[in-house]
Amino acid sequence: MSAAFALSLARSGKKVLIASLDPAHNLGDVLGTKLHDKPGKVEANLDALEIDLNSWVKRYLDESREELARTYSYNLTLNLNSFFDIMKYSPGTEEYAMLWAIEHIRCNLAGDYDIVVYDTPPTALSLRFLAMPAISNLWIAELTKLRERILSKRNTITRINPTSVVASSCVDKADDKIYGKLGSIKRRLSDLSSLFCKESYIAVVLNPDVLSVSEAIRIKEELDRIDIPLSGLCLNKRGVSTTAWTLDRSLAASPLFEFDFIPKGLHKRDDLASIDTKDLVADFLATKS
Amino acid sequence: METILKKLRFILDTMLQVNREKACGILEFELKELENIFSLLILGGFVGMPSPPVPLAMELLPYMERELTIMLARSDMAQDPLASLMGILEVD
Repeated sequence: MSAAFALSLARSGKKVLIASLDPAHNLGDVLGTKLHDKPGKVEANLDALEIDLNSWVKRYLDESREELARTYSYNLTLNLNSFFDIMKYSPGTEEYAMLWAIEHIRCNLAGDYDIVVYDTPPTALSLRFLAMPAISNLWIAELTKLRERILSKRNTITRINPTSVVASSCVDKADDKIYGKLGSIKRRLSDLSSLFCKESYIAVVLNPDVLSVSEAIRIKEELDRIDIPLSGLCLNKRGVSTTAWTLDRSLAASPLFEFDFIPKGLHKRDDLASIDTKDLVADFLATKS
Repeated sequence: METILKKLRFILDTMLQVNREKACGILEFELKELENIFSLLILGGFVGMPSPPVPLAMELLPYMERELTIMLARSDMAQDPLASLMGILEVD
């Protein structure tokens, strides 16, 4: 659906980048070209890339390891170093790697395009990475408050007793690397939060069946909780089944776009053009302006 | 006369420093507790405590050498933290 949407926008004259965030990529297959971690030309006005999550996790862990080696004494580094080999399996690492990949696209690539389309991974992973900035910012706020108390206490001790060992540590917010790091993480996460909440058109794709509608309701509830508006619903494969289904009232606030089931399937890029995304594109462009 | 004045100044300076050290004792104890709590919040995930997402901890870890040292020292006296406080308060 996202590939058809991106293709439609590109063929209407917009310069479009489509990025697949799904660890099980199939964007290259449907666009009929091999994709990499950097933008590759698909056709006029349309570039595409597939995020290599493993390389982003590795890059992120390598940066932390180097920072650690620069800052710490030799023995401490030697002991902590062994953690890094298992860090890639820690909860949250994949979601963070995805956030930094999106940040990279936003800061370094998006400027060359009119529109960036993200083909997101399945529901669970998408909701986790979308929620990550909001959750992390709560932690950052509390840690920042605690850090301010620590710095204020150090400042008081230094004023009373300038020869105290505390005086040799950081007492000012401007000099404290931890306070600075908390601030920089907060700024990065706030930028991403703003991208998700204010600058994005988020559409959920659902199938015409009861289970799929239930899942869409849960996605809507989760998005509401993290203040991300649901911009549209894409009903895919209309006509694939004759089983009765209804759209829940809670989803009625978002515009619904329906797409017919294609019995022949999608085999090449031009097959994507047969999906009528006119209304979806029109709503997107109207929202964007 | 000058020697006596020098000695007097030295005694006064020493008394002043002793009082400063005493005044800071409790504050330093509180500070170490706060720094210990900060470390525990950041690294608690490694021992099953509620903590921020692990990647956040990884970003802060390179700058936490002092906090880690304090946390390790605190874990050494974890069996009897009151003794340390009583020592500072000079309670026999």
